[in-house]
Amino acid sequence: MFGRFKPLWGKKPQLKSSYDAVIIGGGLHGLATAYFLAKEHGMNNIAILEKRYIGFGGAGRNTAIVRANQRTQENVPLYKEALDLWPILTKELDYNLMFNNCGNLNLMHSEAAMNTARMNVCTAQFHGIKSHLLDAKQLKELEPAINISPDITYPIHGAMFHPPGGVVRHDAVVWGLAKGAARYGVHIHQQTEATAIHTKNGKITGVDTNRGRIHTPRVLVSAGGYSAGMINKMLGIRLPISVLTIQAMVTQPLKPVLNHVVSSGMYHAYANQTLKGEIATGAHMDPWPNYTTLTTAHYIKHQAEALSDFLPFLRGVKFMRTWAGLADMTPDMAPIIDGNDPIDGFYMNCGWGYFGFKSCTATGRYLAKFMAGGQCPDMLKPFTLRRYEKHRLMGETAALVSYSADN
Amino acid sequence: MNRLTKLPTLRIDPSENRSLQYKGQTYQGVAGDTVATALYANGVRVFARSLKYHRPRGLYSLDGECSNTCMQVDDIPNVRTENTLLKNGMQVKDQNVKGSAEFDWMGFMDKLDCLMPAGFYYRTMHKPASLWPIAMKQVRNAAGLGKIAPDFRMKGDYTEIYPRAAVCVIGGGAAGMTAALAAAESGLRVVLLDARPWLGGCFDYRVSAYDQEKALYQRARELAKAVEATPNIRVFKHTAVVGVYNNNLITAFQVGGESDSFNERYLEIRATSVVVATGCIERPLLFENNERPGIMQVGCAHRLARTYGLLPGNQAVFSIGHDLGLEAAADLFDLGLQIACVADIRADGQDPQLLLALTKRNIPFLRGWVACEAHGSRQVEKVTLSTIDGSAKRQFGCDLLVASAGLTPITGPLTLAQAKLKYDMHTGYFLPVDLPAKTHIAGRLTGLQHALAIEASGRLAGLNAAADCGFDTAKSAAEAGQQLNALPGPERGTRLVSAPVKGRKSFICFDEDTTLKNIKQAIEMGFDVPELIKRFTSAGTGPGQGGIPGHNLPLLVSEYQARTGAKPIPTTVRPPLVPTFIATYAGANHDMCKRTPLHDLQKKAGGVFRRMGVWRRARYFSEDFSCREEILNVRNNVGLLDASTLGKFRIHGPDALKALQRVYVSNMAKVAEGRVKYSAMCNDDGCVIDDGVVVKLAENDYYFTTSTGRAGETVEWIRFHTRYDGWDFHLVNLTDAMGVINISGPNACKVLAKVADTDLANEAFPFSSYREFTIRKKIPVRAMRLGFVGELSYELHADASYMPALWQIIEEAGQEFGIRNFGVEAQNVLRLEKCHIILGQESEQRTNLLDLGLGFLWHRNKPDAKTVGAVALRQTEKDPGRFRLVGFKMEDPQRPPRDGSIIVDQRIRGYVCTARKSFTLNESVGLALVDAELAALGTRLEIFEDECNGKRLDARIVPMPFYDPQGERMKM
Repeated sequence: MFGRFKPLWGKKPQLKSSYDAVIIGGGLHGLATAYFLAKEHGMNNIAILEKRYIGFGGAGRNTAIVRANQRTQENVPLYKEALDLWPILTKELDYNLMFNNCGNLNLMHSEAAMNTARMNVCTAQFHGIKSHLLDAKQLKELEPAINISPDITYPIHGAMFHPPGGVVRHDAVVWGLAKGAARYGVHIHQQTEATAIHTKNGKITGVDTNRGRIHTPRVLVSAGGYSAGMINKMLGIRLPISVLTIQAMVTQPLKPVLNHVVSSGMYHAYANQTLKGEIATGAHMDPWPNYTTLTTAHYIKHQAEALSDFLPFLRGVKFMRTWAGLADMTPDMAPIIDGNDPIDGFYMNCGWGYFGFKSCTATGRYLAKFMAGGQCPDMLKPFTLRRYEKHRLMGETAALVSYSADN
Repeated sequence: MNRLTKLPTLRIDPSENRSLQYKGQTYQGVAGDTVATALYANGVRVFARSLKYHRPRGLYSLDGECSNTCMQVDDIPNVRTENTLLKNGMQVKDQNVKGSAEFDWMGFMDKLDCLMPAGFYYRTMHKPASLWPIAMKQVRNAAGLGKIAPDFRMKGDYTEIYPRAAVCVIGGGAAGMTAALAAAESGLRVVLLDARPWLGGCFDYRVSAYDQEKALYQRARELAKAVEATPNIRVFKHTAVVGVYNNNLITAFQVGGESDSFNERYLEIRATSVVVATGCIERPLLFENNERPGIMQVGCAHRLARTYGLLPGNQAVFSIGHDLGLEAAADLFDLGLQIACVADIRADGQDPQLLLALTKRNIPFLRGWVACEAHGSRQVEKVTLSTIDGSAKRQFGCDLLVASAGLTPITGPLTLAQAKLKYDMHTGYFLPVDLPAKTHIAGRLTGLQHALAIEASGRLAGLNAAADCGFDTAKSAAEAGQQLNALPGPERGTRLVSAPVKGRKSFICFDEDTTLKNIKQAIEMGFDVPELIKRFTSAGTGPGQGGIPGHNLPLLVSEYQARTGAKPIPTTVRPPLVPTFIATYAGANHDMCKRTPLHDLQKKAGGVFRRMGVWRRARYFSEDFSCREEILNVRNNVGLLDASTLGKFRIHGPDALKALQRVYVSNMAKVAEGRVKYSAMCNDDGCVIDDGVVVKLAENDYYFTTSTGRAGETVEWIRFHTRYDGWDFHLVNLTDAMGVINISGPNACKVLAKVADTDLANEAFPFSSYREFTIRKKIPVRAMRLGFVGELSYELHADASYMPALWQIIEEAGQEFGIRNFGVEAQNVLRLEKCHIILGQESEQRTNLLDLGLGFLWHRNKPDAKTVGAVALRQTEKDPGRFRLVGFKMEDPQRPPRDGSIIVDQRIRGYVCTARKSFTLNESVGLALVDAELAALGTRLEIFEDECNGKRLDARIVPMPFYDPQGERMKM
């Protein structure tokens, strides 16, 4: 039934001295871009450079929630397309990405919060995406584990219910995309670190690695939390990104008990049950920039306090493992996707904060189109770096955010 | 089962009975039993079924390194019964079974392993696509171990403490106790933690000689006595360390005993120096069916007998790789266990005394042999031994197979403290390359086995830890070091992981049913580092948290990759080191929020409270959430509002004005004494972050208010934006020190006049001015005439302690006019009618000062001030594509849109910020942010509400404000 066990993303390739495109970062965005470049644009002379191993960074550390109930019309269609892609990619890659279409519940803790959520709900409905506001009673009927008593720190007034969302197995996406990309001839170089990007007359000419130089006319940096530092160091372009540590954790495995992704902005917490039965829960960002992936004593306790309030049955369940990753936050909760400006052949896809998983596939697909043709597709235009120069923030979050003293 | 009740090493009290319920029967145990040992005493051998293959599982380690004995206890799932103390009346159930643990209908899964290779779920169940949702349900039901009800509520008390320690010693064995005693010599405050309910570690159950006079267990009790008698050592028993964080912050939890007031207690210990003396666990031996019930580790078998008085079997075979195995064999033989054979992995290096002991007892000994297969369906019945190279085999019948490949140190706390581990060829351990600052290690963890060496290393570590705390222990530490060096050093360890088998049913991880074969498959598929293999095969991600595969997986991977010369790389260890109840982490779970000084009075008056940021505020004063009465009473009469949550600040000093000029967009030099100035602060994008009023108290001495939500950040904001200027000013946050009462309505003046010791006539105290006076000759107030709600209105600021009295005086004075409270929602509607904005409600990150129509506040001719946000305002002034704040009226006066509805044509063009039915105007009005090109007066807006089914609401843009456009009512 399973035949012989062969390397999923091919035998280790030799590093060539020249590629048509080099992608720095073997995470979801890099892999997706490479896959679509090769598959849909016939560019198969491509290298992915990954310093550690594929999926080491945010790709392997996120809790894999997917949804398309964002706040603005610039964002929603991209996420919607990504939602629609999971079943298609599962088939295309012949790899079970395990999309658990369980639906998302965003808890609202005041009348004002219900009103704020209404804007997201209206935006979704206007785009033909299912999303509804529920009152506390309807919420309780849908997810009996939720505590709607008024005696908790932030009593629950209702929720935003988004049936098309859910959870995807993040590791499967990494490996599936790698498998697909390799099938089309993409070279995935692990343990290969990019050390410099070369330009001449405003054009990209090559990349230095710890294994030698590569000549190339196109470079994409999609190295997650490390992108901003890398782009600044190698090309002198400063991005309005603050890198923060974000933490998540899982409990011991349980038989099915929680049937939706439940999240609360007020408590800074979400929880969902994985197919393995663990309750995956996060996510708190340390409110100061740092590049460590260290967890903190404060946070796991905070998370326990929050869950005790809104999912009190979990008090009888044990935390098993906690970890941290990096979130590269922009001032407007939307990524920076740009290319050929100010350097021809230089593309970047970063600033995805803690929400880079949801639309990685759709973004990779549009970015591939961008890199193959040189013209930015309309879908990606709003994400240009120049928006900050014009003081035109995207409004993906209503509130003004401040992660570091600079923004 | 007969207990060995006379052993001096026992930790049970055979005279005191405890009972539990299991499968409808009552089982008797004794005080000191764990749930699992009590069941074992009653003949239970199969405790659980495994996750994937539903294989029977039994007692294996006694320290909770795997889920083998996880059961449901008192409705709590996944309880490690092997180290959960038995309490009377416990209700115990087996989990993840159809039928019972003993006979599980799902047992056939064990035959289907070829259908479930490494990562099989990634490659199956997705074709055709319609299969997946059905398959997923089955996967969900099959996965997970324990069951919990969604309405489960945890009983008991969970508390927390935060001790400070000079030295924190992790591990209460001989090394840890010696370390604690040595550190305590300097008079330091020492905290000693041990995961077991007693001190003693690996000496506790052993009767081998410590010296001429004492056995090891006697020495352990002697040390424990000394430790407990030392007043500056605080001992926490039954306390597992779960986390180690920066600067020696140790987290742990203690399990409460029968006499404790708590069930579990969370500990957070800040220590100057830490000694890690956690000792070792055993490294599992891999062979076919290596986890059959009846197979257990050396320590488990030995402790069952010596600690719990339970002879683990009748006829045993030992397959071990360490002297502790030989010692256990001889001792258990003396206690009545028959031993068919002892097979030792090692070709040489055994303690000759122990070999002699086996010979004396006529126990057959095989050198260089290892168990390669266990037989028996539900329990082990027979074992095949083989030579290491597989060239010869022999079989022995047995009901107990004691199996262990060697030892592995418990380095979790060190890894969490960021120590890098490296494989040590001599001991075969992963040992720290260099230790983090103020961290020391001692005892068996370092590879030592000799009792005196273990203690000497503990003493040295304790003295070094004391030195970290500033004590000069150099001399005694040097002596201790010499003493240690004179004793036997770390012993050579075994490297063998697996018997010569194919490994189809050799389990490297019990929790996840991961076999040797699965690991090979993963490697063949290109997963070439242990961390990736762990992810792909799930090995080590179960409830045992890597206790079983932690050490073996990297060894195995490097063995398979021998060609590439790969060194073993350990997988990452993550907190909590021991699974910990969410109830325990949550502890007391205090809800901390702020109450205004008027909280109780408003509560009495029927206030309905809502949490707003850090505050609780009264949002309504009746069950009518439209607030009709509250609103009309302000419009027609007089109302009273608690506005104490406003941010309140004083700024004074020679450069106070300069600081205000920097952060406020207006020209603050124009603030006249006795007047109130409304202004706003922007960020670097020109977005409004705060608005409020400023009054001048004296030269370079100002009092200003901020919005409620902004109060916390204001001091830092001003400091940050003046940080390079070296200005001299003081900023005082008076938010909590003062309260605010707002009296609004046409009768406000009449009410206040009755109690205020000042002339309130319009000429004496006009609109937009500021006065200081007393109320009833007693209460000093700062008063402002403002008009947020659009009526004659006074805002009284007074010290928080005066607030209740002030409130009652005004209420009493207002009684004849029918004064009544109004809440935040009534205020919201009142100000909406006046089109006064609330930041965050009518603004967001896409809107700046100009977009909100507040451009008149901006004084563009103060470039010297370098006003924060001014550059952005200049740059965006002529930008056409921005949002604008507009006021609208609904075509249907009875039907306001719900807040947050969007404004659309072919696309989204804006949204409704706030909209209400106005009882004053008998219209439905609102404020919206829309694309600038739609902002002209008279423009029709289409409003798209949630669940509108395509039917849009019509509105028209109208001039602002809606109510009293001339502002006459505020000035009357």
